[in-house]
Amino acid sequence: MTLAATPDTTTETDEEFRARLRAFLTDHHPGKPPRGAAERLAWQKAWLATLFDGGYAGPSWPREFGGMDLPFAQQVIYQEEYSRARVPGPLATGVGIVAPTIIKYGTPEQRDRWLRPMLRGDTIWAQGYSEPDAGSDLPALRTTAKRDGDEYVVNGQKVWNTEADKADILYTLVRTGAPDSRQKGISYLIIDARTPGVTVRPLRDITGGTKFSEIFFSDVRVPVTDRIGEENDGWRLVRTSLGHERAAGAMKQAATYRRVLDELVALAQERGIAGDPLVRDQLAGFEIRVRIMRYSAMRTISDITRHGEPGPGSSTSRLFITTFEQDLHEFAVDMLGADAVLLGGDPDAVQRGRWTKGFLATRASTIGAGTSEIQRNTIAEQVLGLPRDPAMPPR
Amino acid sequence: MTLTFTDEQEELRHSVRRFLADKAPMASVRTAVETEEGHDRGVWAQMAGQLGLQGIALPEEFGGLGFGAVELGIVLEELGRALSPEPFLATVALAGRALAAAGDDEARRRWLPGIVDGSVTAALAVTEDGGGWSIGALRTVANLPPSATGGSAHSPGRFGRVAALAAGGGVTLTGVKTFVIDGEGADLLVVAARTPEGAAELYAVDATEGPAGLTRTRQEVLDSTRRLARVDLVDVPARPLGLTEIQVSVLLDLAVIAVSAEQVGTAKACLDLSVEYAKTRVQFGRPIGSFQAIKHKCANMLLALESARSALYHAASLAAAPEPDPAELSAAAAVCGAWCAQTAVDAAKETIQIHGGIGFTWEHDSHLYLKRAKSSELLFGVPTTHRARLADLVGI
Repeated sequence: MTLAATPDTTTETDEEFRARLRAFLTDHHPGKPPRGAAERLAWQKAWLATLFDGGYAGPSWPREFGGMDLPFAQQVIYQEEYSRARVPGPLATGVGIVAPTIIKYGTPEQRDRWLRPMLRGDTIWAQGYSEPDAGSDLPALRTTAKRDGDEYVVNGQKVWNTEADKADILYTLVRTGAPDSRQKGISYLIIDARTPGVTVRPLRDITGGTKFSEIFFSDVRVPVTDRIGEENDGWRLVRTSLGHERAAGAMKQAATYRRVLDELVALAQERGIAGDPLVRDQLAGFEIRVRIMRYSAMRTISDITRHGEPGPGSSTSRLFITTFEQDLHEFAVDMLGADAVLLGGDPDAVQRGRWTKGFLATRASTIGAGTSEIQRNTIAEQVLGLPRDPAMPPR
Repeated sequence: MTLTFTDEQEELRHSVRRFLADKAPMASVRTAVETEEGHDRGVWAQMAGQLGLQGIALPEEFGGLGFGAVELGIVLEELGRALSPEPFLATVALAGRALAAAGDDEARRRWLPGIVDGSVTAALAVTEDGGGWSIGALRTVANLPPSATGGSAHSPGRFGRVAALAAGGGVTLTGVKTFVIDGEGADLLVVAARTPEGAAELYAVDATEGPAGLTRTRQEVLDSTRRLARVDLVDVPARPLGLTEIQVSVLLDLAVIAVSAEQVGTAKACLDLSVEYAKTRVQFGRPIGSFQAIKHKCANMLLALESARSALYHAASLAAAPEPDPAELSAAAAVCGAWCAQTAVDAAKETIQIHGGIGFTWEHDSHLYLKRAKSSELLFGVPTTHRARLADLVGI
């Protein structure tokens, strides 16, 4: 592969950047995913390497770690174009979640060791936060890391670990303080998934798939140098994000759902039911919501551009999107009627069963990364200033 | 398109909010709506004299400030938050903007300076029997002018059909308009009707001299903070404003966006009231706002409100452009009309629920918000109507 000469990005306009990115994504598009899990993984890794080698990975990452360090406006363009191109996204969750933590709190040695291979897709990173008895109440986690010389000895169990069955490296929260120390006794530990004593067991979810795993740690020895930040100071690193990449990501989601809704409307028209007044009313309702999703993302972006902060509209955007995607898929299966009982493997399934699968998969939308109930509590307390429940432990 | 306010726009919002909190708190609103005029003339005069609000989005050549839809939206949001009974929506956002767009320069010169300085109030009469806020609901009986027929100046015309007839050198209107906001005392009525050729047009009716044939009757209505009138017209002299049908349609869409701004303000007032009460009302030995059931209601109100603001600010930015695309503006108005109205009604209902028994009393303000929100929703197209319009526009 030949690499394009690095353009002079200092004088490039936003629209020139868009054109250059679009051309790259079009010219190098990896095509449709192959069948078979191993083939698909290799296909996705090859794409990420292409992206990285071409200088089009990590829009919000500093350049010294292989990123693009784009100004915010171009990050938004990047997300729009990425969604438009329909190319595969990052593998697992590392790039979005642990990378900002490493960039901000990692040692120079840790950054050099971990960041570039992660961004290039050479190493796959999976999260180990939740536990069977620490879901919404994450500070109750019980996986322990006991110091033994230059190593920690880790014991415990994690659950709901996205794509951990493919992972090379796990980023985890472990208890290094007293059992009841809650937030004050948690450390952020990076664990090589191939270390003896680590067992990853795929967890079959309601879709029948195994997107998530359970992880068991039995006397797993981890070098102390693989801890990020200070001992017992891991909790405050958990919600690190890079600049305002989440706001740019909201634009990508809006663009994606714009397309999904258009596909659903086309399906309704194809089946001759779009004119039904009730179907039409519902579709128009989704049209309104998908537009508002975009306007909210635009508003957050405007706020960031002008004030440097995302503003109040951003606090509710996740709730808006998660309920939208549930409602959309449920409507889709209702619209399909009996045809929606067919799963993807059935030759008569409509669009390979995508709507039924989506109906099931989006049950997780209001659970993962903090349930909607917890989010509403957080909004009520931190945005609206309502008093805390006295029965709850301190935040 | 930027959806963030400038420092000057934020300052405008704060000064309007301060003014209304100072001069027109809810206790004063309750008093004002019981008066013969239904609003506070002193407040109206100060809005014009001190703040120049009536002229905020009207042309500078008539004394206005020449700002656009974004600034007008800010003022409307604050007025909606305060449940202001002042005839601002009718005079400025509905009739005033129609005049500003008018091709008839004489009408502009006749009325706009008075609107800007607060000496003139105006109303826009659109709705006929059936209550639809759209030019599709306008019907007319095309008639020849009396000089041509030599007989009656108007055909009998069905109830609710306003027909504009050429009478001598001018035009006369005959018909019935309903739900005319602040129409009872307005000096100027801007009346939607069809030309003899059948196109939608707006006509200026000078009501200062109480012309023969014009009868205005106050309607007994749900929302006590906003007066509505039935307007009967029989051979009433009128002037066409010289608008195209597309311009009339755009003005009706702008009206929906203007009312949506009020609705966003009303929803915000409801949320503030609810949160404040939830912080202070103690039951079971703790503030009720510490219970998740109440927290989640408030969080849901904020979610709907922030979404409504996104829809509104997008629509206002679009409307502020020099030549907005009519179809795009119409879609934006439909999004606002459906979402902002629903948000305000839901917020008002939740406000009553969160307040419990006190929220169901006449003394408490909750019911005033519910009545305003619901009334505005019903007058400018219910959400299903807006969704149907959007479906038409986007080809669903």
